[in-house]
Amino acid sequence: MDTKPILEVKDVVAGYGRMTILNGTTFSVPKGSITTVIGPNGAGKSTVFKTIFGMLAARTGTVTFDGRDVTNWTPRKLLEAGICYVPQGRNIFPELSVRTNIQLGAIAAGKNITDMPDRIERGLDRFPALRRKANQQAGTLSGGEQKQLEVVRGLLLDPRLILIDEPSIGLSPMMVTETFAILTELRGKGVSTLMIEQNARSALEMSDYGIVLELGQTRIFDTAQNVLNDPRVAQLFLGGTTN
Amino acid sequence: MANLVNLIITGLATGAIYALVAIGFTLLWQTSQTINFAQGDFVMLPAFFMLPMLHAGVPYWLAILIGVILSMLILGYGYKKLLVDPIRKHGVLPLAIAGMALSIFMQEGVKNYTAEAHVFPALIPNLDFHIFGAVVSAQSIAVVVVALAVVIALQWLLNKTLVGHQMQATAQNSTVARLLGIPVERMVLYTFLINGALVAIASALVSPLIFAKFSTGNIMGMAAFTAAIVGGFNQVRGAIAGGLLLGVVNNIGSAYISAQYRDAIPLLLLILVILFRPQGLMGRAEERTV
Repeated sequence: MDTKPILEVKDVVAGYGRMTILNGTTFSVPKGSITTVIGPNGAGKSTVFKTIFGMLAARTGTVTFDGRDVTNWTPRKLLEAGICYVPQGRNIFPELSVRTNIQLGAIAAGKNITDMPDRIERGLDRFPALRRKANQQAGTLSGGEQKQLEVVRGLLLDPRLILIDEPSIGLSPMMVTETFAILTELRGKGVSTLMIEQNARSALEMSDYGIVLELGQTRIFDTAQNVLNDPRVAQLFLGGTTN
Repeated sequence: MANLVNLIITGLATGAIYALVAIGFTLLWQTSQTINFAQGDFVMLPAFFMLPMLHAGVPYWLAILIGVILSMLILGYGYKKLLVDPIRKHGVLPLAIAGMALSIFMQEGVKNYTAEAHVFPALIPNLDFHIFGAVVSAQSIAVVVVALAVVIALQWLLNKTLVGHQMQATAQNSTVARLLGIPVERMVLYTFLINGALVAIASALVSPLIFAKFSTGNIMGMAAFTAAIVGGFNQVRGAIAGGLLLGVVNNIGSAYISAQYRDAIPLLLLILVILFRPQGLMGRAEERTV
């Protein structure tokens, strides 16, 4: 595995209004890896993602994607550059059809992508539930199916880095396994993933690297195996000691 | 019975105009949480763009078209840039109150210029014809046809085009729309332009029926607001249903109960709907995050 970072977050300061959540956050994501961020509530995990993806301004510090400074770029430019962001919760347009929801993922597509209709159909084919309900309102999908829709939509532009926030929330264990399997499959194609996951143990088990974030600071950055075996982590996030 | 048919058709005609105004009202709410309390006055004003042109001998259709374009620029673009954008960031309530101030400003402004009721030429000459023994005014039919065409065109835009899908996406979840690279601000501007066009068309349709006067906005604003609430605030089809229902109920009520209670009927309808179906006849209940 190439250990040159695909993403570098350096000394980033950001927050909401007068409140500062990230106070010099620094970490990097090795290229081609699945890296999981864990940390207590309020550690700034989701805030980091929002800042990377241009939804929240970084007051100082830099975000570098594949060697390019992308600090405070707009989501649209970041999509074009090859980053995709799947936020927490349900991120669909409930009254538009499943197919239209997916089509809207192609808004930022460059003119050089000419096979978009094919890509959309292939995305639908990948998940039988989406294919079956392609013309229904997306609001009628189950939680897991909605996540599938978001994944298909996010992959339309062939991203090189996926930011995914709490993919397991509200999903059945089978759906979680399936989502993780997709990320692993994408890693095989060289796509990197940065994931936030409450379900720390199973997320770290499938990851290459782990980051422990606390009060906006990186406390630990190590291989996922080492993070799993770290007694501090075990006590704080994994519910007891590891065996 | 014959009378009832006529009442229903004229009711549908005014109702169709209410629907146009109510659609614009709900579109602004959906995409930008703007409650436009000057919406009625937005219907009043374009007639005064068109009248001087008509008096100067500009052909009817051209005067209407220029009026619609002016309305899109002033009541669409200008309203958004000068009032909504600076105030929206302070919240929904300040914007609503600013709308009330704008309403007073527009009424008084027009009143200073002319306080009289002006005759406005109709779309087609007022002929009556007979269907199954009922007398029906051709003008009413023409109003319904025009309003229907506008609604169909709007539905086509919203449901069948990529721009329309992006506008709906912005209305349903603007955060996610932004994440996908949809130009949210431009989509919001489009809804303001559409509202500008809708109120101008409504103005041209309603002014022949009730004259062009500085105070017509009061009736139209109340009607649009009621139609939007009755139909369901978050649905375009709700605004259509609410408008038509209001027009018909209003007409039948004033004919069979009392014309004196004409203005009370929409309020009664409003109270009943809020009491028994607060999300509106076709609306969906909105979840509120605590």
